[in-house]
Amino acid sequence: MTVLLWILAILAVPTLLFCGWLGWVFLKEFFSASGDDNAAAEAAEKLGLLPAERQNTKYAGPLPAGWEEALARAGGDWQAAAELLRDIGQDWDRRSKAVGLLGDLAAEDDTWLLAWENARPDDPDAAVVRANSSVSVAWQIRGTKRAQYTTQEQFTGFHRVLRRAREEIARAAELNPDDPTPFVTELAVAFGLGYPHSEMDRLWAEVTARAPYHYEGHWRALQYWCKKWRGSEELATEFAERAAAKAPSGSLLTVLPLLAHFEHDDSDSSNGDRTPEMVARVDAGLVDAAAADPTHPRLPELRHFLAYYLALQDRDEAAIEQFRLVDGHVGAVPWSYRGSDDAVARYYCRIRDLAALAVTSTD
Amino acid sequence: MGAIMRALRALLLLAGFNLLGVLLLAGLAFLDCLLFLYAPPGVAVALCSVSVLPAIPVAAGLFAFRARRGEEAPGLTVTEADEPTLWQTVREVAQQVGTRAPSHVVLTPGVDASVAQGARLLPGPRRLSLGVPLLQGLTAAQLRSVLAHKLGRRSTSGSRALHDRALILRAVAHCEEHTGWTAPREQARLEQRFYKGAATGAASSGRRVRHAGVTRRAVSWVRTAYAKLFLRATFAVARAHEVRADVTAARIAGRDATASVLREVPVLEAAFEYYTCHYAALGLDAGLLPPRGEVFGGFGEMLSARQLELAGLRREIPTGPLTPYDAQPPLADRVRHIEALPPDGRTDEGRGAALSLLADPGSTLTALEDAVLTEDVRRFRRAGDWPGLLNDSMAAGLEGVDTPLHRALAMYTKAPPTLSALLGLIDDGRVWKLARRLPLSDQAAASTGRAFREFVRPALTESLHGMVLAELSAGERLHWEFSWERTPTARLRPGQSSPWSDTPLADLLGPAMTAALADHPDTGPLRALLMPTPTDPANRETDRP
Repeated sequence: MTVLLWILAILAVPTLLFCGWLGWVFLKEFFSASGDDNAAAEAAEKLGLLPAERQNTKYAGPLPAGWEEALARAGGDWQAAAELLRDIGQDWDRRSKAVGLLGDLAAEDDTWLLAWENARPDDPDAAVVRANSSVSVAWQIRGTKRAQYTTQEQFTGFHRVLRRAREEIARAAELNPDDPTPFVTELAVAFGLGYPHSEMDRLWAEVTARAPYHYEGHWRALQYWCKKWRGSEELATEFAERAAAKAPSGSLLTVLPLLAHFEHDDSDSSNGDRTPEMVARVDAGLVDAAAADPTHPRLPELRHFLAYYLALQDRDEAAIEQFRLVDGHVGAVPWSYRGSDDAVARYYCRIRDLAALAVTSTD
Repeated sequence: MGAIMRALRALLLLAGFNLLGVLLLAGLAFLDCLLFLYAPPGVAVALCSVSVLPAIPVAAGLFAFRARRGEEAPGLTVTEADEPTLWQTVREVAQQVGTRAPSHVVLTPGVDASVAQGARLLPGPRRLSLGVPLLQGLTAAQLRSVLAHKLGRRSTSGSRALHDRALILRAVAHCEEHTGWTAPREQARLEQRFYKGAATGAASSGRRVRHAGVTRRAVSWVRTAYAKLFLRATFAVARAHEVRADVTAARIAGRDATASVLREVPVLEAAFEYYTCHYAALGLDAGLLPPRGEVFGGFGEMLSARQLELAGLRREIPTGPLTPYDAQPPLADRVRHIEALPPDGRTDEGRGAALSLLADPGSTLTALEDAVLTEDVRRFRRAGDWPGLLNDSMAAGLEGVDTPLHRALAMYTKAPPTLSALLGLIDDGRVWKLARRLPLSDQAAASTGRAFREFVRPALTESLHGMVLAELSAGERLHWEFSWERTPTARLRPGQSSPWSDTPLADLLGPAMTAALADHPDTGPLRALLMPTPTDPANRETDRP
């Protein structure tokens, strides 16, 4: 019996030592990590930046004056929506953004849109919102996961609704021949249904003929040329670089090379984000943002990208400058690829806080 | 030297295949002996009784592959007196191949021909099974090619080892099927109910293995692995043999007939499967059979009616080997190989249908029915003609139709599910609430608003379609148009005594159902279809007493 106890005791010593070591490592990691995070969060707070729970994850930046109210009213009264689009007129960048927001609204419940269509059967504004809302429904059915995690049922529904949306798009384009918005909407159909490249080129000509430097149009076309949809890294980069080089300063299209890089970057390290080429792309973006109309509805989206890459390039002062300009709204790429609202806000704050910590500790 | 080595290797592998189980049993026995020699008797007895448990499946496994040899597909045995021309053809081909003619000829109901020999040491009776659908679909020359190929595989030396190979191949497929690696197919189940002996393997041993324990599975796995090794080792020999058989067939029946039959057989297989499912066994659930002689006779009619469609199928040859160990080269390779042979100028030989080799095709097909249909099926009522079979089967099928929508509706309203209740719900705008009771995928259940409606619309449409057809069928307002070329077309009778409408029902029903299930529904068109148009008062008296 005593022999057995001796054997157990001898065996117990290394086990205990091992457990003790594990516990120590755990505690050290636990406190140091939270310590770092806390310090970074404090640094951000000191700079007047908001915590994750106070970030708006729906939009990339504040909506233009009056939009929020119009959207809130549109759900019950289509007149508000009609008025919003009438006031925007031919500012195509604004129009496509407003149509997108109204489309999302109608994707959930289209009672108000039906009332609008009944009241004014041939209103091009209602038609373009209808087309956009159907595309939005299609994407809701598909979900945002990669193809392998998407079911056959989801794909079937997605394709069915997209095919129907094409008819609605054609109708909207017919009712307002000058408007690029229906064609911009169709770009999402193009990568959803997998248009052949030739068909994409035809569609692209329709967009650029009406709005040569349309932000959302370029964004969606770049998605089409990405590897994950119908193109490749080379095609996407080429498209992005060409469009950015051609566009006048202030058109915000310098976001495209950054997006092309981001979409095809699956490495874990940030070395690829610090190349001279990427630094130059970010610099071009900074110049572009400075030259842009400060009320441009897509300006915050570019700033989010700039802040992200500036932080990864350890250009913390400049990063914080961009973070300050957008803080409060985080519903933008690169953060929004993180999935849930919570994860999006946390990811944004983590990157931002590290930059803030670097800035405050060098002060 | 090479040949001897190859033969030796095959022999060893084959012996090993049977030795494996014996060795396992011997090993167990040896362990038991050791136990009795060196362990206390109590422990030894206990452990020995435990060791019997794995021994049982091993022993049973020894006979598992052997047992399948005796199975014979049911069919109609025809003597030389019954079918002199067929027998003469078979004898001629056997002579040209240089092998013994079979002693029995059995007509079977599948797209398949085979030569089996019940022999251990001395050559036993040789049995030729010949699928009647082959006779219906092939020309005389093509049939000679099939016979030459099958007999040719028997003739050359070494066919014994290859025969064992075929058995093992079948056994492996059988094992994989019944250890749950491949799912049994719906079609197989249907044929099993219809033809005697079809897919009997699935019926008999499926049950056995389902109750098999872990050890049985393990033994089966080891043996299967060994069998695969054996098959891989004999692959080259077997393939050369197959190629030789093809060349023999081309020599005897002509190059073109042989090449075309290679293309034809997969087409016939697909066509016969389709025929069984959509024509012959159409009334299976309603307890109805086609007219006498037509169970197989209809296949010929379908083949001639669908010539164009079949011509398209013939152009696409399936590529890739059928199973990884099947020694038959991919079909495309075989066809290319035969077509590359020098032309022999025998294109016009034997162009008549192979069915004319039978003395009286009609009565043979009738006799075949009695020989191969299952007991239950033979007791079915015979339909007067094909259109009658179609209409009666459809009506019977629609009588007890039960869709997910029926169940959802019953659950939602706590009342017997009727179409009028459903249309009422649609008008009330509550159909999407009802749809929540349908079986939904996780994604559909999680969606809301328009996305949810899009998710459930296909299922809802399908169920509604079933309900509408059932309603029309119950009112005797539905007529199915039989065709050998197309799937049946449904036609509607607008009123009780009016003629069948010219427009196919699908064209009327589609838009009506779309309107009824739109985001903002309109059941008007559908109700109009369902409502019989009033007939003139004189007729109404007699229609509705």
